Amino acid sequence: MADVSHNPPFSHKQRAFVISPDLELVETLKTLWSSEWMEFTVFERGRSAIELLFNEPPDLLIVDNRLEDISGAEVANSVKSENVYRQLPVVLVMDHEDMDEPWDWTTVEVDDFLVRPFTPSEARDRINLTICRAMRALDANPLSKLPGNTSIIQRIQLLIDKKEDFALAYCDLDYFKSFNDKYGFSRGDEVLMMTARVIVNTIKSFPGGKNFVGHVGGDDFVFIMPPDLVEEACQRVVQSFDAIVPHFYDAADRKQGKIVSTDRQGVVREFPLMAVSIAVVFNIDGRMEHFGEASAIAMSLKKKAKENPKSCYVLDRRT
Amino acid sequence: MQDMDLKTSVKGQVLAINDLPTLPGVLDEVTKLVENPETSTEEIASVIVKDQVLSAKVLKMVNSPVYGFPGRISSIQHGLVLLGFNVIRGIIISTSVFDMMVQAMKGLWEHSLGCATASGIIARHAGFDDPEEYAVAGLLHDLGKVVTAVQLPELHQKILDTVEKKNLSYYRAEKDILGFGHDRINAWLGRHWNLPGNIRAAMSRHHSPHMADLYKSTCCVVHLGDFMVRLFEFGTSGDDQTSYLRPEAMKELGFKMSDMERCMDELADQLLDVSDVTF
Repeated sequence: MADVSHNPPFSHKQRAFVISPDLELVETLKTLWSSEWMEFTVFERGRSAIELLFNEPPDLLIVDNRLEDISGAEVANSVKSENVYRQLPVVLVMDHEDMDEPWDWTTVEVDDFLVRPFTPSEARDRINLTICRAMRALDANPLSKLPGNTSIIQRIQLLIDKKEDFALAYCDLDYFKSFNDKYGFSRGDEVLMMTARVIVNTIKSFPGGKNFVGHVGGDDFVFIMPPDLVEEACQRVVQSFDAIVPHFYDAADRKQGKIVSTDRQGVVREFPLMAVSIAVVFNIDGRMEHFGEASAIAMSLKKKAKENPKSCYVLDRRT
Repeated sequence: MQDMDLKTSVKGQVLAINDLPTLPGVLDEVTKLVENPETSTEEIASVIVKDQVLSAKVLKMVNSPVYGFPGRISSIQHGLVLLGFNVIRGIIISTSVFDMMVQAMKGLWEHSLGCATASGIIARHAGFDDPEEYAVAGLLHDLGKVVTAVQLPELHQKILDTVEKKNLSYYRAEKDILGFGHDRINAWLGRHWNLPGNIRAAMSRHHSPHMADLYKSTCCVVHLGDFMVRLFEFGTSGDDQTSYLRPEAMKELGFKMSDMERCMDELADQLLDVSDVTF
């Protein structure tokens, strides 16, 4: 009997579908998590599950290869071939004989497998890991691989709920769009990768394991730090970014310190070199209750930071 | 035909290098720095810029496609900011030191550092932006010689013997033995490692700056730097000859003899400081 007193490593209750004719397997799975954390819906036959899978996709799908009406691989593929369900983690349960021939995992797109016989604790951790891995993969920004919106919101809400003091910084780039328009999006991506690297390394250079960097998307980044260190972090991000970004321009533009382009109306316009604007909000003594408050204050501060064409940071001084 | 075969096999061996060793002096100093997590990247950069192999490793890593901006970074300081402490420490702890040829390599390390110093001075006198980047180009201009010594020890020995026997420059002896020089080897390395254009140009054109299509000014600065540091006989780059000074390089930089003299005076002062570095 596995110990269900520990909290699993995911943040909310998971709905799992189990498609298997093996009652013993189903009973074992049900003992692995408390019902507060995992809710099972069980199907003995594959075909009967598919419609519900599409209508109410669960958080996790466990498919047995012992199904009689349809192969486990086929069930998995019917889900994974649809882009809207692709993120659903699928674990295939197999017998040793199923492993005689190597599988082609490019055509059977499951996320993990279990081979009988396995111990209950092995199954528990294999499945926990599958769920966590799916969350990481789903939320990571495809360019920078930094955590994306879901993780950012979760992290902020978690700190608010725990009433921990923190500073939340929103960064974005000024004149990124004009750079992209002139040099093309792959040169723009280079700048975003550089920016991500500058922020990550700056934040990592400060002590405290709780520092966090996320990539909202495009040229928007977020970082979380202890309140007393955030100003120095902003200064260092600004300094490094300003020193490095000129090298992402062609030599002539770098020398001029600006780019000149003609817009669709035929008007010649000038744009300064890119700069980074940072708006910082503080949650001190648990004054915030919801993540929305943090982002609302940050957005109004960002306008202020944007008024300055040079790189700069604005701290929320309200107390 | 035989020449072609030699070139192909040499190129394969040169590009196969994945653990370029260095000399212990600078490596030990940087190792101490990275043991302390409080060390700033500026402090680490100020030491790494003295060592051609460590500098090459930093630029190779930060310009690799993994980081997403190949060929953009030619400053060691910027490279270190973008790599971060963890990766820098990884580079340092995985770097080995020469167990042979140490004496010969010391001369080459001094020559490279001298050329870096001279290139920085010349770039500043010529009024160019970012003179540090010219210094980096100067530092790496003979990297191909290090790679030859490590990857092609037998051919390297033959080159050294030819220098001695025929009283040739190292560059001429390379052409005798290999059919091409370290400038060609540099060009292969620079392209393979996605180094920025200015550094690649100087590495492959410092003997023939008048032939450079791109970054001619960088090539001319390093050409002049190499010439000056040889005049001072600071370090050694495989022979004890002076190199041919291309008048086109002087012209490109708008240098007169008086400019040369001013640069030489400044270089004489700075080489005094630089000679304190032990490799």
